[in-house]
Amino acid sequence: MITPVLLAVLALVLTGPAPAVLARSNWPYRVPRAAVILWQAIALAAVLAALGAGIALSYSIAGRPGEPRFNPSSARDLVAAAILAMTALVVVRLFWAVGRVAVGTRARRKRHRDLVDVLATPDGLIPGLRVLAEETPLAYCLPALRGARVVVSVGALDRLDDGELKAVLAHEQAHLRARHDLVLEEFTALHHAFPRWVRSDVALEQARTLVELLADDDARRRNGPRPLARALVALAGAPAPEAALAAAKSSTVLRVERLAAPAPNERLLSSCTYVAAAALLIIPTITIAAPIVTAIVDAVS
Amino acid sequence: MASEEKVQPQAPRPLGDLERLVMEQLWAAPAALTVREVHEQLSGTRELAYTTVMTVLDRLAKKKLTERERDGKAWRYRAAAPREELAADLMRDALDRAGDRREALVRFVGQVSDEEAALLREALSRLDAQEQSG
Repeated sequence: MITPVLLAVLALVLTGPAPAVLARSNWPYRVPRAAVILWQAIALAAVLAALGAGIALSYSIAGRPGEPRFNPSSARDLVAAAILAMTALVVVRLFWAVGRVAVGTRARRKRHRDLVDVLATPDGLIPGLRVLAEETPLAYCLPALRGARVVVSVGALDRLDDGELKAVLAHEQAHLRARHDLVLEEFTALHHAFPRWVRSDVALEQARTLVELLADDDARRRNGPRPLARALVALAGAPAPEAALAAAKSSTVLRVERLAAPAPNERLLSSCTYVAAAALLIIPTITIAAPIVTAIVDAVS
Repeated sequence: MASEEKVQPQAPRPLGDLERLVMEQLWAAPAALTVREVHEQLSGTRELAYTTVMTVLDRLAKKKLTERERDGKAWRYRAAAPREELAADLMRDALDRAGDRREALVRFVGQVSDEEAALLREALSRLDAQEQSG
């Protein structure tokens, strides 16, 4: 009976307190690549632990592992079956959310791309660049397997010099090359898979910030930190009403401050983060696998 | 790393470019146009097959950017919405940071408060100072 309890506790810790603590820390911003992996590991481990808790609970209620006979007249077996069914429902819900987000995102992006193609003019500066005749400063990418677009508004072009524009384009191309949209899609799907009362924005929010930092790092490696930092400040645009903003620093401020600081060597920190991510995934997997393996061994011997 | 940066001229996308030109004709026209009318207006400036214009209008209809109606034996096409309206749709989608639509696009920067604007300027001047001393 101890395994399901431990797994349930792990699932709860990984959905609530752990993300909250991690989101308040500053160190993940120093190793964005490892931090994205850690967030993915936390999310995946939370799901695995929750599923594992269900499976392990149903096992321990049904009696000794290795007793495959299902007895419909036994109340214990019925409860165990119900728990297993609920666990399966969670899996179905998860796949449903992934599919829905994937379809929805692609449909919306396609519509957006169709609009961009008739409203914005191509520019030969980089492949797929479209210039939109809008005053609002705007630069973003539309990811796709083929024919991705980078959209820049005239308002943005007016505010940027050549070096800054180059940095912005490098940043957007980094998003496209690394398919950061797929990373965010996973977090969005997970976000939607959880019932409204347990899910929080923290993981998705952090993932968004971290992929921006990754694209920033790519642009910094290509052109140095200055053009990108200047571009960020130039495009930060009209101040938003104070009330509309959270108390925390916006990611724009974080990004510029990060560019202003020299890039340190964080090999140790990133290694530790990767190890933590791996450990998080291994613990629930082994705990789920252990009773099943024991059952098989029992059955064979 | 440099090899990843393909700064080569974009592969010709004649249909994509034509879509834009055709939409511009439709937006400028006071009434729905036949394929022949669009073809006549466009062939003033470039060599263009009638069937190409037909294809483009058909593609635009499939993308729900044009609407068509029967007029005798011919189809008449009109823009599904005024240019300004589509541009507004596009901007709304690009700027919408709420809920579901937020992750559709990765925006380059967000909005900042006055206080944060000051922080930004400070960080930038620090960077400039580094550059000069280094």
